[in-house]
Amino acid sequence: MGENIIRIRNVKKIYQMGSESIPAVNGISLNIRQGEVCCLFGKSGSGKSTLLNLVAGLEKPTEGQIIFHKKHIERMNEDQLADFRQKYVGFVFQSYNLLPTLTALENVTLPLIFKSVPVKERNERAMEMLKAVGLEERATHKPQEMSGGQQQRVSIARAFVNRPPVVFADEPTGNLDTRTTYEMMDLITGLAKQNNQTLVIVTHDLELSEYADRIVMLQDGRIEKIEDRRKGKEETETAAREKGTAGKAEGEDGHD
Amino acid sequence: MNTKDLISMAVRNLLKRKLRTVLTVLGVVIGTASIVVMISIGIGMNESFAKQLEGWGSLQVIDVSPSGGMSYDEESGRMKQEKKQDPLDAKAVETFKQIEHVEAASPVKTSYFMIGAGKYVADANIMGIDPAAMEALGYKVEEGRALTAEDSKAIVVGGGVEFYDPKLSWEMRYSSEPPQVEILDKKVDVSYDWSYGTRYADKKLKTTKMEVVGTLSAEGNDSYWVIMPIKELEKLQKARDDWEKSKYGGNSSSNRNQTKEFDEVRVKVDKMDNVQAVQQQIKDMGFRASSLTDQLEAMKETTKMLRIVLGAIGAISMVVAAISITNTMVMAIYERTREIGIMKVIGASLRDIKLLFLTEAAFIGLAGGLAGIVVSFGVSQIVNLVAMQQGSNMTSSIPVWLYAGAVAFATGIGILSGYLPAQRAMRLSALTAIKTE
Ligand SMILES: Nc1ncnc2c1ncn2[C@@H]1O[C@H](COP(=O)(O)OP(=O)(O)O)[C@@H](O)[C@H]1O
Ligand SMILES: [Mg+2]
Repeated sequence: MGENIIRIRNVKKIYQMGSESIPAVNGISLNIRQGEVCCLFGKSGSGKSTLLNLVAGLEKPTEGQIIFHKKHIERMNEDQLADFRQKYVGFVFQSYNLLPTLTALENVTLPLIFKSVPVKERNERAMEMLKAVGLEERATHKPQEMSGGQQQRVSIARAFVNRPPVVFADEPTGNLDTRTTYEMMDLITGLAKQNNQTLVIVTHDLELSEYADRIVMLQDGRIEKIEDRRKGKEETETAAREKGTAGKAEGEDGHD
Repeated sequence: MNTKDLISMAVRNLLKRKLRTVLTVLGVVIGTASIVVMISIGIGMNESFAKQLEGWGSLQVIDVSPSGGMSYDEESGRMKQEKKQDPLDAKAVETFKQIEHVEAASPVKTSYFMIGAGKYVADANIMGIDPAAMEALGYKVEEGRALTAEDSKAIVVGGGVEFYDPKLSWEMRYSSEPPQVEILDKKVDVSYDWSYGTRYADKKLKTTKMEVVGTLSAEGNDSYWVIMPIKELEKLQKARDDWEKSKYGGNSSSNRNQTKEFDEVRVKVDKMDNVQAVQQQIKDMGFRASSLTDQLEAMKETTKMLRIVLGAIGAISMVVAAISITNTMVMAIYERTREIGIMKVIGASLRDIKLLFLTEAAFIGLAGGLAGIVVSFGVSQIVNLVAMQQGSNMTSSIPVWLYAGAVAFATGIGILSGYLPAQRAMRLSALTAIKTE
């Protein structure tokens, strides 16, 4: 595995609901490594989605730093965030989020359109991507003409078409049946591994964590435990131990 | 995102909601058409006024006369003595020629001579001008040609100049039809003896032979004039003064003839629109100046109120159309909140989002503008048909610039109306947007 592509340092996200403050993410430090499949695991309401959105630059942290390569995401303005997402990030959502009026192929080309890729090239690349997810025959179909699994494949193709270094997936199989779930997980991790892309995937299903290189277990907005699968056996680290690594990462930073 | 994709995406979005798009476009059509028709009626009325006035003479010509007489003072409502300024002489003519937009200027001297053709004579008002400027000064030559710089013993006779048999008594002269005298390309006799042709005429006096090179139209301000090179007129005046002195002795009948001042100077301006400005400059020099555009201005003034009301109707309908565009775009944003969020998340820049909505609004404006000018054309035809039947001045005329301007204006209104909604779409939080169901 490569070096750290994303460094999360003591990040907090506190929602204010009237007089009540909800610490959805309550002091998390974590390094995500280039090329790994990192699984954020926890019960519903544990803060997985919030953490993912913070790292992806869809939300601003209340406190702390999120560094992508050497760029501080938490300091970016809306324009810079849009540019960051266009260049470095792909998304897969639980609810697919395809544009209903566009065909499968058009949905997949959309990120390339925003990137001003010429028509011929973008159609080729999108078609290639649809082939990779096994949907080349559905290229001209609209989302409502496809099953949930097929729609999610289109959305995976869309997330990968731009070859972003990081793909974020928030419960990508949450709406799918068990069989389709495994197909989808095979597909998404396979695609990520093929190009050494980093995949951050949120799930509340422990069985899916088999696909992960590392499992970050969250509870009440904090890291409860990190399991590293690459080091062979179930070697576990405690959240306190991970804090130490994060501290070390900070030290390394000063040298580069 | 490149322009082509932007446009095709915008058009697609509009076509997705055909009925609403059509209704919004319809508002713009009505707004554009009412503005265009209102303006075209203003233009049409002015054109028909101008046409009416052109029958009287050229709208590009200013008549300058010397100051120094009495004039009506608008402020006090009394007649007042004007200050005597520079003389209206050759130097003044040169000064006028130097004014911007002036194409030609000619001095004018007038006199009253007799013209003889065979046994018929005519009492003629003679206007002496610089023959080189005649063409430019817009005299309405009907047959033959205007005077040119080379002409000396040549005249152009107005269609209203009537010949008669001098041997007949007054009563007979007025009760009979005027004779048709063919004078074009013929030599006629010009005499300053007012008894010429009668038995009281000075038999020893020789007439001056001049060739009629053209005739002026019988309508218009100059129809009763005979146009002659000013040099010839001056020669004739001098000869007349000498003749009168030898005949009656003492002073001549006119003393202006001896001065270097002209009766009038005619100034030709390049464009009608510049006439008033040039006229004002000449007035500022202390001369009196008038032109047919004065009448035109007065005519325009009488229809000003009507045109303001018509214009206001047009403006109001365009404002309503603009509000309707904004409304449509705001509705589109509510409906497409989620779509906007998705686009933002998968890589649309803020600019892309903003431009997309602006382009959609611009297209509503553009479509409305294009359809609007087609409708305007139809309405304009109808207005003219009705005007013709009723013999009214309220005609409609749409110049090309008005068509082009209307389309550009409607598109601009579209962009303007789309601006706030576009700004709003751009600022939507991507996360909140994709959470919206
Ligand atoms: N926009 C928000 N406003 C207020 N509270 C929120 C908001 N988003 C999430 N939360 C709260 O933060 C906590 C963590 O939510 P979330 O990150 O969605 O959990 P998970 O994805 O693990 O189910 C929950 O208690 C949730 O109610
Ligand atoms: Mg969640």
